[in-house]
Amino acid sequence: MTSTRVLYHLVRADFLERVRRYSFLVTLAMAVYLGYGCFTGKVVARLDDYRGVYNSAWLGSLMTLVATVFLSLVGFYVVKNTIQRDQETRVGKILATTPMTKSFYTVAKMISNFAVLAAMVAVMALVALLMQALKAEDPNLDLWALLSPFVIFALPAMAFTGAMAVLFETLPVLRGGAGNVIYFFVWTALLAAPVASLDKGATVSRAAYFSDFTGIVSIMGQMQQDLHKIDPHYTHGSALTIGDTQTTRKFLWTGLRGSPALYLSRVTCVLLAVGLALLASLFFHRFDPAREWFSRKARKEREPAVANGEPVVTFTSPPQAAAHLTPLQRSQNAASLPRLVLAELKLMLKGHRWWWYAVAAGLFVASLVSPLEATHGGIAIVALLWPVLLWSQMGTREARFGTASLIFSSEGSLWRQLPAVWLAGVVVAAVTNGGLGIRLMAARDGHALTAWIACTLFVPSLALALGIWSGTSKTFEAVYTVWWYVGVANHMPGMDFLGTTAESARPAMFLMMAAALVVASYLGRRAKLAYA
Amino acid sequence: MKLSIERVSKQYRGKVWALRDFTLDLRPGVLGLLGPNGAGKTTLMSILATITRATQGRVLWNDTDLAENPDAIRAVLGYLPQDFGVYPNLNAVEFLEYLAAVKGLDAAASRRRIDELLNLVNLADVRKRPLGGYSGGMKQRIGIAQALLNDPQLLIVDEPTAGLDPEERVRFRNLLSELSGERIIILSTHIVSDVEATATDIALISSGTLVAHATPEELLRQVEGKVWEQVVPSDQLTAAKQKYLISGTTRRSDGVHIRVLASAAPNGAQPLAPTLEDAYLYCLTAHRAGAAA
Repeated sequence: MTSTRVLYHLVRADFLERVRRYSFLVTLAMAVYLGYGCFTGKVVARLDDYRGVYNSAWLGSLMTLVATVFLSLVGFYVVKNTIQRDQETRVGKILATTPMTKSFYTVAKMISNFAVLAAMVAVMALVALLMQALKAEDPNLDLWALLSPFVIFALPAMAFTGAMAVLFETLPVLRGGAGNVIYFFVWTALLAAPVASLDKGATVSRAAYFSDFTGIVSIMGQMQQDLHKIDPHYTHGSALTIGDTQTTRKFLWTGLRGSPALYLSRVTCVLLAVGLALLASLFFHRFDPAREWFSRKARKEREPAVANGEPVVTFTSPPQAAAHLTPLQRSQNAASLPRLVLAELKLMLKGHRWWWYAVAAGLFVASLVSPLEATHGGIAIVALLWPVLLWSQMGTREARFGTASLIFSSEGSLWRQLPAVWLAGVVVAAVTNGGLGIRLMAARDGHALTAWIACTLFVPSLALALGIWSGTSKTFEAVYTVWWYVGVANHMPGMDFLGTTAESARPAMFLMMAAALVVASYLGRRAKLAYA
Repeated sequence: MKLSIERVSKQYRGKVWALRDFTLDLRPGVLGLLGPNGAGKTTLMSILATITRATQGRVLWNDTDLAENPDAIRAVLGYLPQDFGVYPNLNAVEFLEYLAAVKGLDAAASRRRIDELLNLVNLADVRKRPLGGYSGGMKQRIGIAQALLNDPQLLIVDEPTAGLDPEERVRFRNLLSELSGERIIILSTHIVSDVEATATDIALISSGTLVAHATPEELLRQVEGKVWEQVVPSDQLTAAKQKYLISGTTRRSDGVHIRVLASAAPNGAQPLAPTLEDAYLYCLTAHRAGAAA
């Protein structure tokens, strides 16, 4: 079998496995919803108060921008599980015994990721086509103007995103929840760097082309140049906005102008993607359990004990005497909820390295001794992100570790275990951000303290609901990180669940949301149990 | 103490029926649930363990309908699923303590019980090691221990000896026999020797239906006088397989000794005492032939 054929089948099998999953349909629905947002004017590429006439060129470019910005973030989380799945399904162990090289595997996975993301891009291209027909601002359909932005910008961006997902999956620290959080900041930095140059003027520099993996600078830069020719008073303001944004004026934009630098930058983006996939192969463990950190630790523990130079078998030594089981009295079945909460808390906290606890303790102490303003506006914000990987286990742990059948066949799993998980999450929130709570109590700041309580209840409720309904910890890790960044770190009213400023705090709203999320968690778990 | 399974059927998505009109009444003792792969054993176990809901029919525990009060059965249930996981960062004691809390066991009682169980499954030496470092057989033994945590009146074990070494397999069989006094144990497996060693009753299941429910002696009586040994040259083995229902072959210096299941003796064949494996094969083949007709 030729390499091309092997590659084709590897990518095909992976692609089919993924697109037949429910999560793919959900993401596809989100892509369509964004397209609908463009149609209804909720998602707008705005240049001061201008937008383009809805012709093929503008719609193709608008939808490309939406696709690259949205899918380069959300799409990453959708596809960052391809190697993990091979591991979980044990297909990886079969693949590892074939002559396939590590670089071949990681490149194939990158292509497979790309194929999944490209399918979503194709849906958005279709939406752009429909939108032009339905909006009817320009009846002339120019297929090249409509589709070329997708080909030139969206597809290379998807290749880059797919490669980043493979790289993150192969790097030991980044393959878990920490990688999901870190990617958001990497993505923000990658997006912000060229965008900053866009605000300075209408001319897109060659360097900006090459650092612009989503194409947002390249496309909007050209839009700015063209608008400036039409309206010299235009101030170079531009934004891709979501929400109720009013544009009062329209201008005719005829489309992208290609240039060697532009094309070269896009080719470079694809080559960079391949390079990242090849780089990933250096870290790829080829499903060797000995190269997993945990297995190293476990193997060390499995090494036979040695007494006087002679190995002592410790694992299957026969019992010294006949084992005895004391009959259990039925009245002994009376474990209290606090004991179960402690058990859940222990489970949540186990397995983290010493430095995790050291940082958490450091943040706690710092929030106690720092000026209240510094605590409220800085340390508490960081302390709120630190336990994200503890919360993200909530509602997903049973499925992730295959213990669902053991737990859900136990008496009162819905009424005892679920509340215990939630309470354990609340305890984590209260303790890790407890420094701020104590300070607010001491300062007798009732409003801020209410916001702190709302936050303490809201965050674990969000984690539990998202965990139960999505079945994966990634959803909370991604949603929470974005929400934390936009709402808490940037003090956005309505989004700031910690209430970092008096203006941005909405404690009543978050208390209500927490209650709604608890109900959603209950209903989600109830729906998953055969007998509630 | 009784468990009644009344005309239970289960249909999965795609219109696949995993169980059809399955009816069985169980009293204390060990029921060996035997059947080929895909027969519906695991589906039945999952229904009894309240993991999945029957599409039709009902299950009664001491006359309480499982659909109306699933906790009635959960309170007395010990369940070892075919596939289960463990929390890799917890050690054996922590994992069992966690499950004891989930099952609602009192702290002091569960501590004593965990000590006894770890001795019983021969994991006391490694009780403080993270489960992530356990071998498959050791994880299986942890599974056995958790199933016995609440001293269950109903113990359901699905392929419990998978992954166990011969010594541990024997220990487990003995354990099941010891436990079988005042409780109902359902042992689902396709390993006939496990059932042979422990079961007081056997239920044969195929294509989601109950083929037979009898004691081992009754099943053996069905094939009495129908098991033969014939010696054939190696080159005639393929032809013999096409002609007879063969339950075993052994190569010896005088040729291949085949174990034939037939109503009449093949040429030169000698009668043999039947085993449960013979009975299992005979019943299943007869059932399939009947279904095909």
